[in-house]
Amino acid sequence: MAGNLKKVLVDPLSENNPVTIQILGICSSLAVTVKLETALVMAIGLTVVTAGSNWVISLLRNTIPSKIRMIVEMAVVSVLVIVADQFLRAYLFEISRQLSVFVGLIITNCIVMGRLEAYALQNPPGLSFLDGIGNGLGYSLVLVIVASVREILGSGKWLGFRVIPEAAYSAGYINNGFMLLAPGAFIVLGLLIWVQRTLSKKFETD
Amino acid sequence: MAKGDAYTLGYAAAVCVACSLLLSGTAALLKSKQDFQVELDRKVNVLKAFGVATIDGQGRAIGGEEVEKIFGEHISEVVLDGETGQVLPGLAVRDVSRDDLEGKKKLPLFLWKDGDRVTRYAFPISGKGLWSTIYGYLALGEDLSTILGVTFYRHGETPGLGAEISTDAFQKQFVGKKVFKDGRLQPIEVVKGRVANRYPEGSDRAVDGISGATLTGNGINRFLNGDLEKYETYFAGIRGGG
Repeated sequence: MAGNLKKVLVDPLSENNPVTIQILGICSSLAVTVKLETALVMAIGLTVVTAGSNWVISLLRNTIPSKIRMIVEMAVVSVLVIVADQFLRAYLFEISRQLSVFVGLIITNCIVMGRLEAYALQNPPGLSFLDGIGNGLGYSLVLVIVASVREILGSGKWLGFRVIPEAAYSAGYINNGFMLLAPGAFIVLGLLIWVQRTLSKKFETD
Repeated sequence: MAKGDAYTLGYAAAVCVACSLLLSGTAALLKSKQDFQVELDRKVNVLKAFGVATIDGQGRAIGGEEVEKIFGEHISEVVLDGETGQVLPGLAVRDVSRDDLEGKKKLPLFLWKDGDRVTRYAFPISGKGLWSTIYGYLALGEDLSTILGVTFYRHGETPGLGAEISTDAFQKQFVGKKVFKDGRLQPIEVVKGRVANRYPEGSDRAVDGISGATLTGNGINRFLNGDLEKYETYFAGIRGGG
């Protein structure tokens, strides 16, 4: 059982990462990774929502009428997302404005719905909750890596602190503006997927 | 799991009730905190327009207390009648209804006082850009002509193009421009392309446009000058009075 727990939690970080292996949640990982700060808040938001909805749906899994299964799932996810959004607006106003529509779009993030369908409907609440945390962390890990690369190359900062010294700028160094745009994220993410799949020897076969 | 339709309907109803209770509970709980944040954001934008540094040395935004302190010491608010341009006594900005604000029937004005002298004026500006309504503030100096600052803080323009209007680089261009010259208002202009190409001799009323955002720029030209005219009736009185 202990081994199982660990597998549920750790697998999504690398072996079965929702972003780099399952290619889910790409849209938001491109949109919110200009700066690490917003990426972190988004990552926390998604982890909370995935874990919470996994837990709730797993609790209800034997009572949900199959005809309205997905609608019930959607309702639970939406409520959690709206609550998360409301909290951001109350306590992290500036960040919530930078994330703008993307917090709301967690509802449509395939990772959330995917875990509900693939895991929470068949497994007990405790394990489902951990599965949600695990997948949320897997997503977070990718977001943090992509956002770090983009913020350092694009703005010369990391989490808002300057990492590329002023001297480099005086010597003619220029920030890579491309990294601030979505295509920059696309390239970083592509490279990340390549590295990860090469390391884990996991390839698509046809 | 073969359960009747009644069960399904009942289940759906129960889920709806539970969800709505949870949502309204959260909204009620966080309402005051959210309103406070929106109010603070509005005040920060007024300060930015006035040319007050809202970012401290470490690059962090100044806190709510500091904002309230500056507001308390220097800034008073009045509301003008949109038709006559006269001050409506006893009316605070927060009491003006949204309809009156949007329709510009009542015009809020922020006065910056050093001692008893009013040395700066700021007021909200808003109007259509390309996709959305743009909201901002404009501040004028004591001469009621020199722009101290312009901010655009809420809009839904295209990210990377029109949305660049909320960058400091764009907004800083307005500082020092003159809205009043030779006895009348002169229109501020966001030009298509660069000012240096359009007005080789330089201009005290034009700023560089953003490439790919000409229509957003045109929108700004329209509403910024339109709003200036609305306030002019009041400003003319002050100028006339010396």
